[in-house]
Order: sequence, then C-alpha cells, then structure tokens
Amino acid sequence: MSAADTVAGLVQVVGGVAVAPLIPGVVQRVKARLQGRPGPSPWQPYRELRRLWRKSGVAPMPRTIVYELAPAVVVGSLVIALVMLPIGGRSPGWPVGNDAVALVGLLALGRFAITLAAWDTAGGFGLMGASRDLTFAVAVEAVLLLVLVLVALPGGNTDLVALSAQATRPAVWGEPAHWAAAFAFGLVVLAETGRQPVDNPDTHLELTMVHEGPLLEYAGRELAYLQWAAAARHWIMLVLATELFIPQPGPFAARLAVLAGSLPVWCVLLAVCETTQAKMRILRVPLFVGAGGAVCLLGLASWFAGGGS
Amino acid sequence: MSAAAILCAAGAALVGLGAVLALATPAWRLALALQAAGMSAVGVSGAAVLFGAAHAVVGFRSSFAPAFGVDRLSGFFLVVLALIAVPATIYARDALRDVRQTRAVSGLSGAFCLALVGVVAARDVATFLGFWELMTLLPAAVILVVRHDEHARRDVFAYLAITHLGGIGVWASMLILAGHGALGGVPLHGGGLRALVAVAAIIGFGTKAGAMPLHSWLPRAHPLAPANVSALMSGVMIKLALYGLIRVLFTWDRPVPLWVGLTLLALGTLSSVGGVLYALFQHELKRLLAFHSIENVGIIVLGLGASLVFASLGRWQWSAIAFAAALLHTLNHAVFKALLFLGAGSFASVVGALELDRLGGLLRRMPWTGGAFAVGAMAIAGLPPLNGFASEWMTLQSLLHVALYGPFGVSLAGALATAALAATAALAVFCFVKVIGLVLLGAPRRPETADARETSAGMRGPLVFLAGLCVLLGAVPGLLVPTLAQLGPGTVALSRGATVALPGTGGLPTLALAVGLVLVVGGLWRAARGRRAAPSPAWACGQVIEPAMAWTSAGFTKPLRLFFEAVLRPTRELTVRVERGVVQEVAYEAEVPHLFDTLIYEPITHSALRGAAVVRRLQSGSLRTYLLYLLGLLALLLVLVQLGVLT
Repeated sequence: MSAADTVAGLVQVVGGVAVAPLIPGVVQRVKARLQGRPGPSPWQPYRELRRLWRKSGVAPMPRTIVYELAPAVVVGSLVIALVMLPIGGRSPGWPVGNDAVALVGLLALGRFAITLAAWDTAGGFGLMGASRDLTFAVAVEAVLLLVLVLVALPGGNTDLVALSAQATRPAVWGEPAHWAAAFAFGLVVLAETGRQPVDNPDTHLELTMVHEGPLLEYAGRELAYLQWAAAARHWIMLVLATELFIPQPGPFAARLAVLAGSLPVWCVLLAVCETTQAKMRILRVPLFVGAGGAVCLLGLASWFAGGGS
Repeated sequence: MSAAAILCAAGAALVGLGAVLALATPAWRLALALQAAGMSAVGVSGAAVLFGAAHAVVGFRSSFAPAFGVDRLSGFFLVVLALIAVPATIYARDALRDVRQTRAVSGLSGAFCLALVGVVAARDVATFLGFWELMTLLPAAVILVVRHDEHARRDVFAYLAITHLGGIGVWASMLILAGHGALGGVPLHGGGLRALVAVAAIIGFGTKAGAMPLHSWLPRAHPLAPANVSALMSGVMIKLALYGLIRVLFTWDRPVPLWVGLTLLALGTLSSVGGVLYALFQHELKRLLAFHSIENVGIIVLGLGASLVFASLGRWQWSAIAFAAALLHTLNHAVFKALLFLGAGSFASVVGALELDRLGGLLRRMPWTGGAFAVGAMAIAGLPPLNGFASEWMTLQSLLHVALYGPFGVSLAGALATAALAATAALAVFCFVKVIGLVLLGAPRRPETADARETSAGMRGPLVFLAGLCVLLGAVPGLLVPTLAQLGPGTVALSRGATVALPGTGGLPTLALAVGLVLVVGGLWRAARGRRAAPSPAWACGQVIEPAMAWTSAGFTKPLRLFFEAVLRPTRELTVRVERGVVQEVAYEAEVPHLFDTLIYEPITHSALRGAAVVRRLQSGSLRTYLLYLLGLLALLLVLVQLGVLT
C-alpha cells in the first residue's frame, strides 16, 4: 500500500468520523449569516454530541430490541459506507470494496433500521416521518441509479475508484450527459441530506418532520449516534459530489486540496439553497427528485447523439 | 443408470409412498416424514448433478415415449425444490393438525412434490406436459379440500381458468418444438415459426409464473392454500414456469432475436414495479406476500431478459452473469418466500386471521418465529448483508451494464429497467417496514394477539433453518455464482470465493460486508447500551397514546398512495351522519382497486359471457332445430363443393 493510499484511508476514516459534524455546523453558520443572525459557532454540533454522550437515555414503552439496535445499525451502515468513498481518486482497498451499488444498499439499510424503530415505539410523529422518508426514497434510489448509469458510461465500470478516476478528466466536463448527471445528483443530495426544499433540519414542529421524525424518542448516546449519522450522510454525499463531478487532473495532493476546498463551497451552496427556498409540499418532493431522472434520460440521449465517445 | 439417477428415483419413490400412505392410512405424520426424507434424497441427487460430481444426463427427446433425466439446470431446480419442500413438509407435520381433512392434504402435498419433481426431470414432451398439468391441478385440489366456501371456489375457478387459457401457450410452444424435433437438438428454422414459439412460450410460461399482466390468478390462489402448500406454490411452482421459459428461450429456440429480450425486460419491469406497488396496499398478509411473488418473478425475468439482450449483442460474458443473477434470485426468493409463507402460517395458527391491522407485538410473544420472519422480510426487501441483496445487486449490475453496452434504444431500455428495479427495491423496503411494524412490533391490536404463544419446535425449526439459509446465502453467494454462470449461454471465468467479483463493477465482498456490519454494529451497540435510561411513553404532544391512535397499514402508505393517485385510482367514501347539527358517526372506507382486474379481466369475462349468451340461443333443445342445422350445413357444404372451394 502506497503512502497516498494510507492518506486516503486516513481521510476516509478520520474525515468521515471527525470532520463530518463540521459540515452541518458550517451550513448552519453560513445560513444564519445570510439571514442576518450571528448564529451558532460551526463547532456547535461537536458540543451537542459531547453533551448527548454524557446524558442518560430514555426508554420508551413498549419497545423491543429493534428500537435499541436501530441507531447502531444506522451508524454501522454509514461507517462501512465511509470507507467505500474514494478520496482523491484513491481508496486503500478495504475488504468491503468500493462498489457504488453496494453503497446505495447500505444507505437503504440505515433507512430501514430507523423507520422500523419508529414502528417499534408506535409514536405517531415518528411514523409520519418514516412514511415520508420511505416515499422519498423511491424517487431518490431510482434517480441515484440513473446518475450512476450516466457517470459510468465513459468507463463502463461501477467501481467508485474507477469512476472518480475517469469522471474527473476535464474532457468529460464538455459532455452534456455529465452535466445532466451532476444536476440530478444535486437534487439527490438535497433529498438525502434532508435539506430544504425537501426537508427542514431546523424544524421543531413535529408535524412537518421527515428525517427528524423517527429521532424524536431517542436521547443520550443513541441520539448522539443518530445526529452523527445525519452529519455523515452530508459527508458521503458531498465527497461523492467532488470526487465524481469536479474535473481535477493532477497528483494526489492536488486532488486532496480540491476536496478540501470544495467542501466549504458545497456548504455555502446548501446554505444559499436553504435560505432562498421554502420547504415544498411533501407530495411534490418525488416529482422534484424525479425531474432529475428525466434530465438523466435526456443526458443519456445526448450521449448517444454525441456518438457515445 | 448412474448413482445420482438411482438416488433421485429412490427419493421420488419414497415421496410417492408417503403420499399413498397418507391417503390410505391414518399415519399421516409418518407419511410426511417419508416425504421429507424422499425430497432430501432428490435434493442431494440434484446437487450432485449440479456440481458435476455425477451425471444422470439423458438428453431431451421430441418423441412421446416417456423419458426421465437430470442435467445440471434440472439439478439446480431440484436443489431449490428440495430446500423448500423438506422444511415445508416437516412444518406440515405439526401445522396440519388443525386443518380439515388432514390426511387428504398431506397425501396431496406429497403428490404435488412429486409432480414438481416430474416437471423438472421430464425429458420428453408428453411427460413434461402431463406433470405440468398435474402441477397446476394438485394445488387446486388441496385448496378445494381445505376450503368449501363459495369465495374460495370462485378463486380456484379463476386460477384454473387463467392458467389453462395461458397454458395453451405452453402446449403450443412445446408441441411445435417437438413437432420439428427441436427438443432433440435439431435447430428450428423459419423466423416466423421461431417468433411464434417465443411468443407462445412467453405467454404460456409467463401466465404460470405470474408475470404481469397475466398474474391475476396468483394473489387469489396462493393465500387460500395451507401454509406448506403456499410455500411450495410461491417458492417453487412459479419458478418451474421460469424453468420452462429458460429451456425454450435459451436452449431450443435459440438464438432468439433482440426483441424477445427487450420484451422480457418490459414484462419484468411491469411485474416488479406493479407487483410491489399493489403489495403495499394489501391488508392481508398472505395476499401481500403473493403480490411480492409477482414482484420477484419480475426481478428474475429482468435478469433473464438482460441475459438474452447481452446474448443478442454478443456480450457473452455478461450474458452468463445476468443468467446467474436470475438463477441466484430464483433460489433466494424460493428460500425467503417459503420462510415468509410458513411464518404467516404460524401467525395464523396462533392468532386466527392475518389482517395486518389486527396483529402487532408478536416479536416479543413469539421470538423464534418472529425473529425468523424478520430475517426473511429483510432478505426480501433486498437489504445487505442478506441473500436478497446479493442477487438484486447482481441483477441491478446486469441491467446497468445493458445501459452501458447497448446501442441507444437498448441502452435506454436498460437505464429505465435499472431505475425501475431501484425503485422496486425501495418500495419493497417500504412494504416490509410496514409488515414488520404491523405484525411484529408495537402493541398487540386485539386480545388474541396479546395471548399469542410461541409455536411447537416442529414448526419453529423449519423457519429457523430457512432464516439460516438467508444469512448463509447472503454471506457467501460467491461460492455458488460461478457454477450458476456455467448453466447459461456464454462463458465467463468467475472466481469462486467470499466476493462476487464481476468485471466492470467494484465487486460485492458479501462476507466482508456481513462481518464488517456485525462487528461495527455490535461494537456501537455495546458502547451505547447498559446506561441509565428513564422509562417514558412515546411522545404524542403530551397525550397518552391510546389503541385508537395506532397507525394502520393504510395510514402508513398514504403519502405513496396520494403520489401514485393518477395510476392507482384509489377510491374513498366518507359518510358523515349528522343529527340536529351534531356529528354522530363518521364512516370511512378506502380501497385501492386492482386495476388489472377491473380494466382488463372483467371486460374480457363480460364479453365472453355475452358471447356465450348469444351462442346459447342456438341451443334450443328442439330436435327439429338441430335437423335444420344439419340440413343447412349440408347445403352449405354442397354449395362450397359446387364453387370449387373444397376440392
């Protein structure tokens, strides 16, 4: 294993585990500034995680092992997903591989666990959020796979390392299919990270919750897990955005710099999106994400119209 | 005769003996044990042939003289059959106690197993078609023995009518093939004839497999049978229809043109999305599971379609991979669907009925059955690290590579099928979150459910065995995939091991994923548990949660129902009774009608009945009228002869 691979592995683990909470922190800070408020420090998520880690839990009645296991399953599936991500076009070859479709499966596992926990306590608000989350997932997964088809077209490979190697040539940036995929992926990012206009992460109104709904009953360390998981989902999606869609030829160190530089940019973009967009009606979300699918199909047509180079 | 052939024949004889014993003597539990032993022998012989340790290969013949034999593909299906039949038969030893006509049902179950073996082992047309018909009729007989009500008889009639009308396709394709000697290896000539065979086979075998839009019988018939027969029907019988389809399209009628593969892709897409969408809105557990059989048949058909498309494109490597994906999903679906049907049978035996909104809280009351059922539900939802994920991953990769390798039209079809399968997987997760939530979790929703007790060891054991298979096949499918890939068209050199390593993918290290998930989740769980936790009720804005506030199946799926309103056309009726300005009663009724029934099947039956009414007028019953008909016919013939038409 080369030194570059070791660094990539370190970024995968340390970045995913330790840096991830900074992303929602920065988004909140930028959003507050855009709205003319001072806002909390970007380090606020860490303070919350520390506080939650020390607190005792809450045991809702009735519940079973499913409720107790759910936070661990959510976090566990995301931890495995973290080490599948290419960093600077590299991955140290963990035994879990780097396949993109497997990563989608792991995200589905996390969703399954948390929505099942909502059934276990049978609280109305949790189930409301769970049912919406699962409805959105139908469109999200379909569009995500279409995006994958488009980015895999030039290389014919669904390995994330191979994808990040060939999708980042500058030549591919002149390809409409690539732009279509990037647009659709942007919509998927909004839905998967639970940002406006799909979901409002700041809401305190249970009736409007989507991703937050099933978290209502949790407290203490279990809630800390789930809050970290929300941050890790941001990390996964934004790292993928950089690795798959930003042209970045050059040595590994330069690519790391591009990654480090792009993450704040994505955060600002998310904050701008949150500030300018109102939350949309729930039933429009599948259509909103599905529009990405239609764009992907147009992208596919353009690929063949262009001779499929 | 080789050892494998003798073993298979001996096993079949044992099953037959078991069937006769059950019908003739009161020792039905012994008879079922004999059947289970016989089926295990059949399975072992099938495995021996599949893995190449033994040969019992008799080639297919176009003649009508009875012939039996087992080649590797048949061996695979015998293994699938035995893996389901043995646990189902053992389960039946305890489960059939409280069914009417126990002896008849155990005897007919054995005969049904025998018919399934016969379809797989038949090597000539007459035997194949004979066992094929038995395979259709025997489950109908079982249902009619168990259920006597009008409703059940109507559904059995629909089952027989639809499968027999569709079955014309099976007879037509098989007889044309045999008539031209194609079963014996003579290639079929003539594009039109070959297209006819392909279409007839797709209609005929597709009906029996329950592919949409030919599926209407499946959700009616499957829920009626006793659990062990339901498991065989959903787990194996509909797969044998796909076995027939594979024989015709991949061996006898090949190479088929591109449009056949694309047709299968379209049918598979419709079945998978349509099946799971209607499953979501079912309120009865066994009916819901039956719709999921349609979905999974769709996924298998998608794999087969992709394999044919790759073969047409000359991508032999991927053709073999897609074929292996279809076979792997066949095995996986058989395992988890049998598990789910047997589990549903256990719940029914304890609670009485399977209305989803009336169960609840069964995981704590029946930990073994409930736990195994949950594993099966996770597997069918296609979640890692269980077996459903491995085969859905392979199928998704196959479809995705259709999109990558094809010319524009094919690529578009591949991309649409990929997106559809991804949506299907998400919908299946939705559906089984609902099922686990309503059946196993939360508080019991009625007194019988609250008093539920775990079933006997004889009923738990088969469930736990099948759940173990789900885990095992999910952890190491890589040991099986290279063998399955050899059975299809094309060749591919795949490494055998803990990873499903396919070219053009990142590979699926199933074992590493499973171990990694268990270790990480276990560690995280330990780090969080055992801390002080204050008991509290679930949050409902400070209200106490009452049973009336419990979520229902319809409530949970409402966002989806609203979103798909234009397609599903749900009906709802709200009646409010007001007296003197005060609301006395609110009645709400909502339903998602099965549009295939109302828009396709009902008009067809109506016009058939109208046609029959017209024809009936000819039958006056009066002798003179019939003499008049004869006279008229004679005159017509004479005129035709005179005109020179009949010379």
